Amino acid sequence: MQHDKSAGVACTQWEEDLVLHYYGELRGSERAAVEDHMRGCQPCRFYLKELESILPLTVKPDEPPQAFWDDYSREMRRKLTEMKERKSWWQSLASFAQPWAIPVSATAFVAILALTLTLGKGFWRSKEVPQDDEVFMEILPAAENLEFFKTMEVLDAMDFLEDMGSPVKGSA
Amino acid sequence: MQPGDENLVALARNGDHKAFEELVERHKQKAYRIAFDFARDREEAKDLSQEAFLRAYTHLGNFDGRSGFYTWFYRILVNVCLDYKRRKKRTFAEEFNEAVESQVEPSYVSQKPPSPDQQVLAGQLSRKVGAALESLPPKQRTAFILRNNQGLSIKEIAEMMQTAEGTVKVHLHRAVTALRQSLAEFA
Repeated sequence: MQHDKSAGVACTQWEEDLVLHYYGELRGSERAAVEDHMRGCQPCRFYLKELESILPLTVKPDEPPQAFWDDYSREMRRKLTEMKERKSWWQSLASFAQPWAIPVSATAFVAILALTLTLGKGFWRSKEVPQDDEVFMEILPAAENLEFFKTMEVLDAMDFLEDMGSPVKGSA
Repeated sequence: MQPGDENLVALARNGDHKAFEELVERHKQKAYRIAFDFARDREEAKDLSQEAFLRAYTHLGNFDGRSGFYTWFYRILVNVCLDYKRRKKRTFAEEFNEAVESQVEPSYVSQKPPSPDQQVLAGQLSRKVGAALESLPPKQRTAFILRNNQGLSIKEIAEMMQTAEGTVKVHLHRAVTALRQSLAEFA
């Protein structure tokens, strides 16, 4: 048997059975085996005695008076009534949420969304279209450029005429 | 002949509030005692057990009858007690001191006043036991309290904790080993 020689330390492999034996959880052959072992093992006997002296100390007895129980029941009834009232309020609210209401609400939502997108599309597009002034401001620089090229064409034409009117170089 | 718990549950689910009040009357003392083992304080045990009843009332629709009402309800109660312990920031020592100050230590308000020496020893023991229980992991504490203090069988605890009997035995053994080490001086 494997156990420590010091008192109160039971054989490792019997410890759990000793705890169960203390609580009366062993029956038949299991119980007989533990009792048989204890007859020949002083540390295990001592361990069980130690459990018998320590474990009852962990229980803190409490016997409230009758007034406590009367108060308990009264308080409980009050809390239950409050809860019922809250519950019935919620139930009345929830009664609106009938099974048919969910698809109807969903359809209405989709319809509203579709309308919003359809009408809103025109609204946003109109904002994107530039105003007349803006168009003019964009065209103006282009027109100015066109004017410049026209001026250049006139100057070229004048040079051509001058060349035609002058005596041929080297003919004098 | 009194209706069974399951009949009362059926009535309560159909809106018979008196049926649920009857269930409270039947189980309030046992519920309070379990809560007291976790909280070790009278007022807190009352609040915790009442909260468990209210939760059970709210979730009566979830009771499927596979286990008894007793098992189902005590599972809720143990969870309420463990949640409370998790939420609680104060140490057991502080609780104990407050309890002493407000003189709500029921076990020591007995018919025969204890001597100062006995009071000191009882105080030390209670503090030590409280701290030792507090230091146990929740599953070990639950298994220990339900077996040691409430006298439930391993089978009943396993059903309540929704685990195997072997697992409960391991939790119980570990809890006892830890408590034995913590309380060796009082042996």
